[in-house]
Amino acid sequence: MPLIIETENLSRVFKSYKKPKGLLNSLKGFFSRQYESKIALAPTTLNIEGGQVIGLVGANGAGKTTLIKLLSGLISPSTGTSKVLGFNPNDRKNEYLKKISVLLGQKNQLWWDIAPVDSYDLLGKIYDIEAKEVDRRVEELAEIFSCTDQLQTQLRRLSLGERMKMEIIGALLHRPEVLFLDEPTIGLDIVAQNVIRNFIEQYMARYKPTIILTSHYMDDISRLSDRLLLISEGKIVYDGNVDEFTLRAETKQKLMIVLGSPTQEAMEFSGIGAISVGQKLIDLSVPAKGSGEVISRIAKFNVIQEIRIEESGFEEVIHEFLAKNVRHGKVGRGLTV
Amino acid sequence: MSFWRKMYGTAKLAVVSQFEYRINLFVDAVIQPLIGSLIEMAMWYAIFSSLGQLTLAGYTRDYYLVYALWASFFSRISANWMYEFRMIDEIESGKINGLLLRPISFYEYYLGQYLGYKSLTGVFSFLIPISVCLVVSSPVQLIRLPLAVSLLFYYVIFIHTVSFCIASLGFFFNKIHSVTIAKNISIWLLSGEIFPLDLVPDPYKKILLWLPFSSGVFVPTGYLTGRLQVSDVVLGFKSVSLGLCVSGLVAAIVWRQGRRVYSGTGA
Repeated sequence: MPLIIETENLSRVFKSYKKPKGLLNSLKGFFSRQYESKIALAPTTLNIEGGQVIGLVGANGAGKTTLIKLLSGLISPSTGTSKVLGFNPNDRKNEYLKKISVLLGQKNQLWWDIAPVDSYDLLGKIYDIEAKEVDRRVEELAEIFSCTDQLQTQLRRLSLGERMKMEIIGALLHRPEVLFLDEPTIGLDIVAQNVIRNFIEQYMARYKPTIILTSHYMDDISRLSDRLLLISEGKIVYDGNVDEFTLRAETKQKLMIVLGSPTQEAMEFSGIGAISVGQKLIDLSVPAKGSGEVISRIAKFNVIQEIRIEESGFEEVIHEFLAKNVRHGKVGRGLTV
Repeated sequence: MSFWRKMYGTAKLAVVSQFEYRINLFVDAVIQPLIGSLIEMAMWYAIFSSLGQLTLAGYTRDYYLVYALWASFFSRISANWMYEFRMIDEIESGKINGLLLRPISFYEYYLGQYLGYKSLTGVFSFLIPISVCLVVSSPVQLIRLPLAVSLLFYYVIFIHTVSFCIASLGFFFNKIHSVTIAKNISIWLLSGEIFPLDLVPDPYKKILLWLPFSSGVFVPTGYLTGRLQVSDVVLGFKSVSLGLCVSGLVAAIVWRQGRRVYSGTGA
């Protein structure tokens, strides 16, 4: 697959005004202000092949949206270079903008005061698509979403889920080669989230664009992504396959063991927890690799009546990984789990 | 071709959006300029009554009344504060992101909307003074209306460029609505909305006529109401052209620098 996105030491630093508390400081700030610089994205080198879905994951303020803004040409880099589809995004050439699409889940990009059909008509003119072709594409996408009935309703009168469907149709109308989806399922209920995920899967299978997806819902990432980029404090801390990440991560299992009779002796498991005398129900969170050993130790001194094992979800694994990296200050490209 | 399709699309967007809110459109296109006209006409009526003379600076009361009637409508059509506020708000809130990611410039997008909206309100608004002039005898020469309106719409492009320039300052300072208000107050005087600029003594009158702002109200209204001639309109076109060059250059610089410091607010 050819490289679609290439960056070399791409970074962005934001400058912000610091105002200490109080009226006097407001007055001081009127004449002289103190600014501080914050690294939103540390120098980042990336190569992304075409036709993949890249899951970009990180906490709030980690730098995910900054990376999307840089790659889409919305903001200029402080250092470094980037190429998307052979274009420098920062040039914001119309030829480039016609090949990409950015869906910002927290912002309306269609026009609030008019019906989606009128918005699509305008988008057709902006992207230079024939009116008949616009109608055909809208019909096709609206059918997949089962939202043909809402196309003629003023956008402001639609529910959040319906609006998101309309936004996605608008974002795909010109058949972008690279699609940046920033929180496409934010605020939606579980049913609506699933509809969006199914739609992205179907669209991906049919048109094979390159998708950069950010989401706080790890189900989006685990189900849709071919490759995972974990970002923390402006740095890429993991870059690899989703399954490999889950396998290699120190996943935990939740063990619930019901004993035949209350325990007669206390047991200590290093770094896991303790079992006190008289307990019948044992509830432990253990590293996946060590669960067998824990069970066999317990089985030696008591009869096990029932065992329940729950695997950690992908979301917990990611959160734990990111929290661990922040705690240990282990941030840097290529860091493995 | 692509440029004109975009212009047509954005102009249509403005018209379609306005038709969604009928009362707002009616008040904006008819009631507001009508109130402005009535206030100014009452003022000139009072001035002539208290002066006790038939002419002022060589023109009769009817010239002033008819000037007041038309000036308010020309002024409403050339005013751009509403779209300027929207542009500032888009930059301040980060709504502009949705536009920056599309193959249309912020300037084109708002110019198309502004022209579409002004064409729509123009059709409704001008029906009132035209009807008055058809019923009541006045110095107005309606045959001059097409040229006067042409100058007005050329001026609209210039004033949009000035608005674009001011809105682009939002990249640096975020809230700059006060600049728009200060500009509007200046334009009331410089355009001849409050009183005809030929009342101003020379050399100030000449300076005001050379400035492009007079082409928004005084020149088209003066030409239509018989105070000015074709040569004055030609001068208007020249001054607006010059104004367009200067404001266009400044706007390009401010926009480019502003985009460099923009942080993509809110997305």
